Amino acid sequence: MSPTMTRSRRSLMSAAGLVAFVLLWELALRSGLLSGSLVPLPSSIPQVFWYELIDGIWLDVVRSSLGHYSVGLLLGSSLGITVGVAAALLPRFDALHAWLARLLRPIPPLAWIPFAIIWFGINPSAAAFIISIGVFWINYFASYSAVHSIDPGFDEVAQAFGQRRFLSRLTKVNLPAAAPGILGGLRAGLGQGWMTVVAAELFGIPGIGQRMMEASSLLATDIVVVYMLTIAGLYALFDFLFMMMQRRLLRWQP
Amino acid sequence: MTTSMTTFLTPPSVATTRVNFAGPVLNARNLSLGFDDTAVLAGVDLALYPREFVAVVGASGVGKSTLLRALTGLLAPQTGEVDIPAGQDAGTRAWSMVFQAPRLFPWRRVRTNVELGLEGLGLSRVERRERAMQPLKLVGLDAYAERWPHTLSGGQQQRVGIARALAVRPKVLFMDEPFASLDAITRRRLQQELIALRQRTEAAIVFVTHDIEEAVLLADRVMILGNQETGQPARVVETLSVNLSLDERRDLPDFAPLVQRVEAIIGNH
Repeated sequence: MSPTMTRSRRSLMSAAGLVAFVLLWELALRSGLLSGSLVPLPSSIPQVFWYELIDGIWLDVVRSSLGHYSVGLLLGSSLGITVGVAAALLPRFDALHAWLARLLRPIPPLAWIPFAIIWFGINPSAAAFIISIGVFWINYFASYSAVHSIDPGFDEVAQAFGQRRFLSRLTKVNLPAAAPGILGGLRAGLGQGWMTVVAAELFGIPGIGQRMMEASSLLATDIVVVYMLTIAGLYALFDFLFMMMQRRLLRWQP
Repeated sequence: MTTSMTTFLTPPSVATTRVNFAGPVLNARNLSLGFDDTAVLAGVDLALYPREFVAVVGASGVGKSTLLRALTGLLAPQTGEVDIPAGQDAGTRAWSMVFQAPRLFPWRRVRTNVELGLEGLGLSRVERRERAMQPLKLVGLDAYAERWPHTLSGGQQQRVGIARALAVRPKVLFMDEPFASLDAITRRRLQQELIALRQRTEAAIVFVTHDIEEAVLLADRVMILGNQETGQPARVVETLSVNLSLDERRDLPDFAPLVQRVEAIIGNH
């Protein structure tokens, strides 16, 4: 790739690559190179999507998945940031929980499904709980390292100018200085959340994941693809909105 | 000394409070400090009077910045005590500081950076704004008030740092090699600005520098820190008065000999 490629030219090529991929896929099926039982025909997807939409199914499952997603995201992000920032600022708390965090960190969110069901039953809270776990760790580590790497000079400035209380330093130095890292963690969590949404719904909680399981048991691969694209689209939308907010919050950056 | 002259230049209402009989604005006695069993400073005394300018010089690494932080309480001294009588006036702080790097908060605009020390003093938002604009005007950057710090040059950022320190109307202004990281031309200009600024602020100044010429150029007194050999804690080796007019001081016949004398003392310690 030449470094002098302009942005619009780059976008154009990316679009061409995507179109070529879909076209090859379509041709492979039509020419019989690929069996129709393996993957659906791309050109059939818009119509399948339309049927899902007018049946009201699409809106229903998307709405309930969005519910799990946003509750899990909110919970995981706020707890992750709180614990991460606290750990970076309070050495005693850091020491106290360090081994516990190391122990729990490698456990994948989906391994919590049994407990989620025992604790919450098969209901939206269970799905939100599972989603929140992955989101928690991403935000925890991002916030922790963001606060840890703040230039100690800023803290000295705050002290020299009478901002000595913990809360003043937190709001005037630590949080704004760590904001780029914390927002980066939030954005990564936004993607991580979608990855666990589908899995968290596989055991019977209504949502996109459950609809995909239903469809796949009927070998309706076209419906599965509709919801794959739905997730991609929702992620792109959320990521875009977040990026706009991030850019506004960090407009002080060079 | 210049103090009496500048007193004469200021309005009488302020001048009456500024006569040197008022007693020191900073009084440090027998300050000692160290890190991890290594003594850095031993037995430093300093009495600073209103509007006085004391430069602290010494070889690099001798403990000048440490002394400054011990005087402010940013570092706790092991022995001795520092007394900076708190200001009587509301909306002021006893001391403030200009750092070697400007250390502006990049997430705040120039004006709100200057407002930092005014927060928590019970001032309204409007009052804070006005109090920030005054020193910004003084350093010639009021037009840049709503800019982000990174859009300013190094010299401009350091001026904002000075405005931030002046905004709290300190009794004592600590300056930690404030011009050391600037280019020669900017440094000269800011030195001249600081000389002019002294006429317009009541603060006494403690100015740390490794630049002997700068110390003699700006100060009323030059305090020389040194140690017998490396590893030994630093002491005040000598304090010299600079009885030269601040106008074109560099061109006075007594300037160069004084610089050489300070250099000689530092060389011997």
